[in-house]
Amino acid sequence: MRMNLKGQKKIINIETSQYPNWKICLINELKNLNSNNVEIDCNDIDLSCTDILELISIADQYNCKIISFCSRSIKTIVSSQSLGYKSQFIIKKPSDNTLKMNEKNITFSKSHFHQGTLRSGEYLDSPGDLLILGDVNPGAKVSAEGNIIIWGRLLGIAHAGSKGNSQARISALHLRPVQLRIAKKVARGPKEKPQLGIAEQARIDSDEIIISPLDAT
Amino acid sequence: MATDTRVILICSGKGGVGKTTLTANLGISLARQGLSTAVLDADFGLRNLDLLLGLENRIVYTAQEVLEEECRLDQALVKHKKESNLSLLPAGNPRMLDWLKPDDMKRIVDMLKEQFDYVLIDCPAGVEDGFKNAMAASQEAIVVTNPEVSAVRDADRVIGLLNTNAIKPVQLVLNRVRPRMMANQEMLSIADVTDILALPLLGLVLEDEQVIVSTNRGEPLTLNSVNSPAAKCYLNIAKRLQGEDIPLINPAEESSGFGAKFRRLMQTKIF
Ligand SMILES: Nc1ncnc2c1ncn2[C@@H]1O[C@H](COP(=O)(O)OP(=O)(O)OP(=O)(O)O)[C@@H](O)[C@H]1O
Ligand SMILES: [Mg+2]
Repeated sequence: MRMNLKGQKKIINIETSQYPNWKICLINELKNLNSNNVEIDCNDIDLSCTDILELISIADQYNCKIISFCSRSIKTIVSSQSLGYKSQFIIKKPSDNTLKMNEKNITFSKSHFHQGTLRSGEYLDSPGDLLILGDVNPGAKVSAEGNIIIWGRLLGIAHAGSKGNSQARISALHLRPVQLRIAKKVARGPKEKPQLGIAEQARIDSDEIIISPLDAT
Repeated sequence: MATDTRVILICSGKGGVGKTTLTANLGISLARQGLSTAVLDADFGLRNLDLLLGLENRIVYTAQEVLEEECRLDQALVKHKKESNLSLLPAGNPRMLDWLKPDDMKRIVDMLKEQFDYVLIDCPAGVEDGFKNAMAASQEAIVVTNPEVSAVRDADRVIGLLNTNAIKPVQLVLNRVRPRMMANQEMLSIADVTDILALPLLGLVLEDEQVIVSTNRGEPLTLNSVNSPAAKCYLNIAKRLQGEDIPLINPAEESSGFGAKFRRLMQTKIF
């Protein structure tokens, strides 16, 4: 088990090289744990939302609260993020084939990619599409001439189609902004909490900004 | 001579959240643990660390004279009358703001590093020059905030700036926690705050009237620490800073009767 020296948060590293599966590894680590707050390092194991929920309930049985996740699997990060957990994507080394393949598949023009949380007062603008791997906190603002995709929580302000493109969309794993803008339309963010585990998308439909689950489109 | 001096910036963005009170109490607590500690008042505009420590009438020279080479560092340092491991380096007059540069702060801190285990920098509110100068001289930071939307927003802004300046680690202290208000959801919860700020929580400080009494008396609470809830919190923060694994206290126990309800809300004992 890897432990950080300062602070209260311990890191549990789950891996499958020495265990038949991650659950057994997790239980083993939890047994030897003397802390209540942990970060789970999932390495490159792919975990779905259901897996993550199961993982949380196992940790619960050991009175252990999961603070955050980190992983090299984008699937796992999406799952944990969408359940509202702080999640850090660890980028694979450039020598890794997977990343290269992914890079080829991304076909955004003039698109910008930003990794990391945007905090209050920070501002990001893109002349094309904007892809953010991280949260957009209250008080932060992002804008793009094209689409905005946030692999994290949108809690600040987002403006897609900033030069007037009303086809532009804003997607996020957790879409609860202070304000949303698409082209010239302005909408305030919805008040009620979003359903966990479902990414949402905002777009203009009959002259109004509407928000719907991402799968439905 | 101290070799591994820790230089810690105590900052918040928003004013009046409790930076100076934390600096004074943490200074006393660390000194109590036998660590030689310097507190540096970097709030040149509205200095009051000397007041809180009850040292105002002992100041002869300040950081300003040290920088202008009109006196030696040890002439400007004011030793605390009851806690000899603690020294204050007072802020110069507000006009220092006109010429002080980040390098000047670094020079001062480098001098302090030669003889102290800890250097705590009491940062001014805001994110302007005063903050930037103080940040330039720091290695790590403690961000102080209150369970209020505006304080959290400003703290978030400051954390962004600390991150871009490679200040590490950055830890959080949540001050003026009122268990009853939290239990009634009239105040942001601990989770609401840590969820946005995503920082390790170094500790909580309970709202405590004795803080105000001690401020007026010029005697930090931790100096006498009778039965003050806040004093206990400050002492624990100092111990955690030293790497001790002190569990976070549960404010539900501080406000009996609300225990069960609060615990349910909290889910974990992260105090
Ligand atoms: N835990 C607490 N309980 C009650 N009162 C508190 C607490 N912490 C701070 N205060 C009060 O809040 C006020 C502001 O505290 P302090 O001067 O430490 O804040 P600051 O962040 O240094 O302010 P500034 O930004 O002006 O420098 C003081 O009157 C202090 O007594
Ligand atoms: Mg102050």
